[in-house]
Amino acid sequence: MKDTVTVALAQMSCRRGDKPENLKKMKTLIIQAKKESAELIVFPELSLTGYVVKDQIYELAENIPGSSTTIIEALAKENKIHVVFGMPELSEKTHATIYNTSVLVGPKGLIGTYRKMYLPTHSVFEEKRYFRQGYQTATFNTELGKIGLIICYDIFFPEVARLTRLEGAQLIVCISASPGVRKAFFETLTMARAMENTAFLAYVNLVGVEDGLQFWGGSRLVGPNGKVLAQAKYDEEDLVVDSFSYSDIRPVEAFVPTLKDLRPELFDELKKMAQKL
Amino acid sequence: MRLTSAILELDWQEVEARTKRFISDYLEKAKAKGILVSLSGGLDSCTVAALSALAVGGAKVLGLILPEEETYSKRDIQHAKLLAEKFQFEIQQCDITPTLKALYHTIPVFDHSEKVCKGNLKARTRIIYVYYYANKFNLIVCGSSDKSEVMMGYFTKWGDVAADIHPVMDLYKTQVRKLAQQVGVPQEIIAKPSTPALWPGQLAETELGIKYDQLDLMLYGLEHFMHPEEIATQLRVKETLVENVKKRWLDMEHKRQMILTTKLEYRTVGWDFRLPRSFAKL
Repeated sequence: MKDTVTVALAQMSCRRGDKPENLKKMKTLIIQAKKESAELIVFPELSLTGYVVKDQIYELAENIPGSSTTIIEALAKENKIHVVFGMPELSEKTHATIYNTSVLVGPKGLIGTYRKMYLPTHSVFEEKRYFRQGYQTATFNTELGKIGLIICYDIFFPEVARLTRLEGAQLIVCISASPGVRKAFFETLTMARAMENTAFLAYVNLVGVEDGLQFWGGSRLVGPNGKVLAQAKYDEEDLVVDSFSYSDIRPVEAFVPTLKDLRPELFDELKKMAQKL
Repeated sequence: MRLTSAILELDWQEVEARTKRFISDYLEKAKAKGILVSLSGGLDSCTVAALSALAVGGAKVLGLILPEEETYSKRDIQHAKLLAEKFQFEIQQCDITPTLKALYHTIPVFDHSEKVCKGNLKARTRIIYVYYYANKFNLIVCGSSDKSEVMMGYFTKWGDVAADIHPVMDLYKTQVRKLAQQVGVPQEIIAKPSTPALWPGQLAETELGIKYDQLDLMLYGLEHFMHPEEIATQLRVKETLVENVKKRWLDMEHKRQMILTTKLEYRTVGWDFRLPRSFAKL
């Protein structure tokens, strides 16, 4: 397995509902990231369409594979790069069942997808109105190591990142569309998820204003000790490229051995208590 | 939760940045030529005008001063001019008195003694001028309602609240004062008692029957699901006072959500016809 990976955090704003325009922007960023030697580029949650699209989601959702993933696959192949991006995925078995999905594509094509498990439906969020929740965590073997995918609000539930880690993920990629009032939560939780799992975590947030909601950016690469290795600007589009080495996990894991010290028997209790809440 | 003035503190630099970004982003996406603010010379409109000028440049901001004879205030007009000079934006003044008099004469049932009806007529007449200018010069109307007024329903339906955007509507009055200080609104404007100026001598705090310092903490408590009894205990006021504020807070929702119809068809405006406010391809 490769030890050192160069990752690009592509913090973009989206033109809502305009998939061709967003794909065009992604293409520009992919080319730029490749010039800076990136092997993996990560775009925000629902970066294909923008976040606040409401009922238009039914017109925008696509099957996977579909026309947009085909375009991204071609770009990944042409630029010999891995890509993670977000899109509304239409179930191939239905006409209006949609998932909030993170897509992982490599130079050899589509690697896999993750359907968001925790859909925020409170405050300004109305995801359960539009999306069906996912039922499985997702971890994929790639040329860049084992990558686990999570999406935004999932990060509030440590079991999602933990499961990807237990499946072997050493890089957790969290794509996000987080408005400014939640900045402090995400800045804390990105560090916590990386530390408690002794894994690298790449967090990429949306920027821009959508119907008055301001997405704060602040995308970051966090090391297994919780240290922020690279960070994008707040509130502005940015492309940050940085490298990390998986071998840096070992000293941290030996120093704070959270995985060695896991107590599986507590999980049964956790399940029981959660059902009684 | 402790209801003290400290709880209303925010990072004012951050609030300024976000408010300016909201204004400039909206203007850019709307592809309009600039921002129009109905400038009374009071705290809210001066703060919004200052923010607009800082966000998009004074050259793209027009302040419209709309006095009328019964509530004419030389001091307010001076304040509006002072602000325009400081933030380098243009102002225009239209005396709406002749229009109001024409309305008084042509409404068969008009009654001068009904001051609320008459006051609301003034607020709505101002908006006719505001939107004429906005249409003519392709400007976005930037409203200046604050959260205290909006939660208390202390505004004229389809009147002063009519605007394309409301940059400070998520801030209580005492918070708008802090933001005004942050952006450099002159102190004499910030310190003035608030008035809707719909009739002579009208003062917001007198009419609401409570000081904004106290009202804002009550509204903050209600917003955060606190029980009126707990709010009253903390603020050392009678529970009935908080109950009355809460009643008004609830009763005024009809002024905040102004489109209501009954569901008859597949997708219904105001209920489940949910489209983004968009300037893009959608």
